[in-house]
Amino acid sequence: MKIKIIAFGQIAEITGKELVIEALDTASLQQALRDKFPALAEKKYAIAVNKILVTDNQILTDNDTVALMPPYSGG
Amino acid sequence: MENHNSRYARHYSLRDFGAEAQQKLADAKVLVIGAGGLGCPVLQYLTAAGVGTIGLVDDDVVSLSNLQRQVLYTTNDVGRAKAAVAALKLQQLNPDITINSFKMLVNSTNALELIADYDVIIDCTDNFAARYLINDACVLLNKPLIFGAVYQYEGQVAVFNVSDAQGNKANYRHLFATPPDPLEVADCNEAGVLGVLPGIIGLMQATEVIKLITGVGEVMINKLMTFSILNYDSFIIDIRADESANTHIPKDATTFKATDYNWLCGTSINGVIELDANNFLQKINLPDTIVIDVREVSELPKADFQNLNIPLSALSEKIPEIEANNIILFCQSGKRSLRAGMLLLEKFGNTKNISHLQRGIIALQEKYNE
Repeated sequence: MKIKIIAFGQIAEITGKELVIEALDTASLQQALRDKFPALAEKKYAIAVNKILVTDNQILTDNDTVALMPPYSGG
Repeated sequence: MENHNSRYARHYSLRDFGAEAQQKLADAKVLVIGAGGLGCPVLQYLTAAGVGTIGLVDDDVVSLSNLQRQVLYTTNDVGRAKAAVAALKLQQLNPDITINSFKMLVNSTNALELIADYDVIIDCTDNFAARYLINDACVLLNKPLIFGAVYQYEGQVAVFNVSDAQGNKANYRHLFATPPDPLEVADCNEAGVLGVLPGIIGLMQATEVIKLITGVGEVMINKLMTFSILNYDSFIIDIRADESANTHIPKDATTFKATDYNWLCGTSINGVIELDANNFLQKINLPDTIVIDVREVSELPKADFQNLNIPLSALSEKIPEIEANNIILFCQSGKRSLRAGMLLLEKFGNTKNISHLQRGIIALQEKYNE
């Protein structure tokens, strides 16, 4: 499955703002991202599939959009 | 009725708002935690809008580097307590409302009592320890929480702990169940922030407060918006609250009060001694002691006591040159000095006494201004 990734904040500094990754589900997508960008291993981020937050592993389908959102603390 | 108050004339004449919504604002009690980049616009606009009771909490003093974005303060206010300056200026802006000002840090001992008195809580803080603390306190007390946070050119806004029609009620733990590793987190000092960004995000928080209180429009319940000021892209996701995230929240007030959020968020570290301003000033002149400023070379104010400037970014390579057995670290806010302490701890273990100035130069300025 070709999955479109949109990254924000410090995550985008590692991966770039947008990229496409082949993955079957969100767990394998995270693994693929870690393989490609080892610096991601230490980072915390929330995942949304098609603009809905997911916490458990979720099956992905072609052209799904996955957003990677790190926590911001600044104020 | 206050609907003869020409201060609010543009609200009275506003379609779907009017005297009824204005009265709801007048009856509301909101608590703004943090009077910095986010807190300033939130406080200014909620005061102007006529929210009847506004509590404001901040333990900091105004510093020159705040003024680029914290537009409630002026150059003359540098060194003064934000809580006092803000209360004075807000009361001048609108003498018809009640301002309760608290110069203190919110912690697990005082948070519940403080929050219990208000209807809506607005998180305008600048660190994860405070954000998790406030989130958990709002969940325990079932208080709506208006969240805002910024990073460089992007901000996040969310409304937590308010049920939607399906009974779904998300909080910050649903997004990020546990705090990130402190070494992975940059703050405004290190990452920088474009001054207008907290202004925009703070105004979005203020807007959510007004919508929530008056019932006008759609409140961002169970949603997180990420907003970029570089291209005005906004990205809104839905949060479905699942029970597992709430297992990280203390189950009652007693457990909450016993929770050390600074430790949870890695803002205190076993082995790095924390010094307050008084302790710091006593210790820096003792024998066999080196005082290290881990800020960048250009950062102000300069310290008026003897110290060695080794920026955090260059500390690792300089570690072997440190001979003194007592190492005292400081920076602007106490974050980088703590990280420096962790680096030194890795190298020296407990063979040297490593300590750092809590809340940094800011704490010293406060002491000098007393």
